[in-house]
Amino acid sequence: MSTVSAATPPVPERPLPTPTRDSQPYWDGLREGRLMLQHCAGCGKVRHYPRPVCPHCFSMESQWRQAPLDGRIHSWTVCHHPFNFFFKSTTPYTIALVDMAAGVRINAPLRGMAESALKIGAPVRLAFEPVSKDVTLPYFVPG
Amino acid sequence: MAHALRDKAAISGIGETAYTRGTTKSGLALQLEASLKAIDDAGLSPRDIDGVVPYFPGGGIAEDFIANLGLPDLAVSAFVPMGGASCVAALQMAAMAVATGVCRNVLISVGRTGYSGARVSTRLQQFPQFALAAEFEAPIGMFAPAQLYAQGARRHMELYGTTTRQFAEVAVVTRRHAILNGNVVMNKPLTVEEHHASRMIADPFRLYDCSLESDGGAAVVVSASDRARDLRQRLVTISGVAEGHPESPASIAQRPDLLEFGLAKAAPRAFGMAGVGPKDIDVAEIYDCFTFTVINQLELLGFCKKGEGGPFVMDGRIALGGELPINTHGGLLSQGHVVGLNHVVELTRQLRHAAGKAQVKDAELGLVTGYGDMGDGSVAILRRAA
Repeated sequence: MSTVSAATPPVPERPLPTPTRDSQPYWDGLREGRLMLQHCAGCGKVRHYPRPVCPHCFSMESQWRQAPLDGRIHSWTVCHHPFNFFFKSTTPYTIALVDMAAGVRINAPLRGMAESALKIGAPVRLAFEPVSKDVTLPYFVPG
Repeated sequence: MAHALRDKAAISGIGETAYTRGTTKSGLALQLEASLKAIDDAGLSPRDIDGVVPYFPGGGIAEDFIANLGLPDLAVSAFVPMGGASCVAALQMAAMAVATGVCRNVLISVGRTGYSGARVSTRLQQFPQFALAAEFEAPIGMFAPAQLYAQGARRHMELYGTTTRQFAEVAVVTRRHAILNGNVVMNKPLTVEEHHASRMIADPFRLYDCSLESDGGAAVVVSASDRARDLRQRLVTISGVAEGHPESPASIAQRPDLLEFGLAKAAPRAFGMAGVGPKDIDVAEIYDCFTFTVINQLELLGFCKKGEGGPFVMDGRIALGGELPINTHGGLLSQGHVVGLNHVVELTRQLRHAAGKAQVKDAELGLVTGYGDMGDGSVAILRRAA
């Protein structure tokens, strides 16, 4: 017979990515502390998020190249309501959308910058936060 | 030559349930309740429905309508999975079906337990079209529409000087209209001060910038115009209708321009089909998932120039009696959230001149938008037939 324990709040689970065959090299790169981006083998254009076909020349061949970590703020939001309760303990947190020097945009938390300092074009730099054995997530720090 | 679809289809029936926060009814029950009302409003029997376009995901499917309404010969069943843009885009599909004679009467319907059932925080990641967001954005703490759209709103503010005072105006005017309606979730006046004092959700969006989580259902019947003329209601035709999809449809973050979405492509098509322009519109029901999305859509629709949506909503211009009254029923911000089908119901009511205290005097031509799925857009221009 099973016993029913006193109600305790569930431990909220962090949402984690489920890498696909198309995106695995990106996640492998983050785990190794590198920003790896997909470049078309046909026309050379960079793309993000990862996908099987180049939308410019329709080549299905691509190469993964290490990209520089610097970028500039495109926009941001400061999240106050957690929506997912895993994030409750860290609200408010800032999510910056950043135009990377490599030519793609990356969305990630921005730490170490006052809200009053946020502005379009402010320089930031990508950093790496291991959150499990397999997964490292990106975040930004002032550049 | 006029577009082949112009005015060939009409909204022959409209129906909606009570909009509430808390219900014991299922989403399907709400959807069917609204459907029966719309069919009755048209003066039709459920047996006359031979096409269904239910909201997906999260509602009835064709089999449910056959089983519950005893449909004897369903000729078309379809989903238009465009999130909040689904219902208005479904008008295009229904119009094509009835104008070609494939169907006589197509039922578009939504039922939703958005308050007493699945809430917004859990809904998004279950949709296949949000797989990219679930993989790349949810793990960093970006998964609710309020957060995802907030970055666009912030950029608009930075580039064009748009203010939260202008956001508040949309919320306050919408609430004023809701109170005239009666069948609404939020029925107390809202002030600019209360808007500014409401808690921050995802900067720059405060609580009163966000649409309601609510329970309710809505439905419309689309019939061929030549048949609808003989039905019970004043003829309201679909003069122009279109859908549009943005670049990077599944991720706002990767879109070349955060502020340019599917409606930019849909609007010229719909205006072209109807053979009219923004200046001809008497009343507009604009998909208001957030206050800012109204401002942005007014720009993409051509009611004002890019960046001028903020000033455009001020000075009573979007209120009843103003230059372009919008969301005369209270919208998603104050009436209830049934994925925008309530906007279609209201616009039809306006053009029948049956909108009660919220009636826009002599409204002849109206516009309704849908907006969803990270930026899909849809727009319909409805006309009160002579």
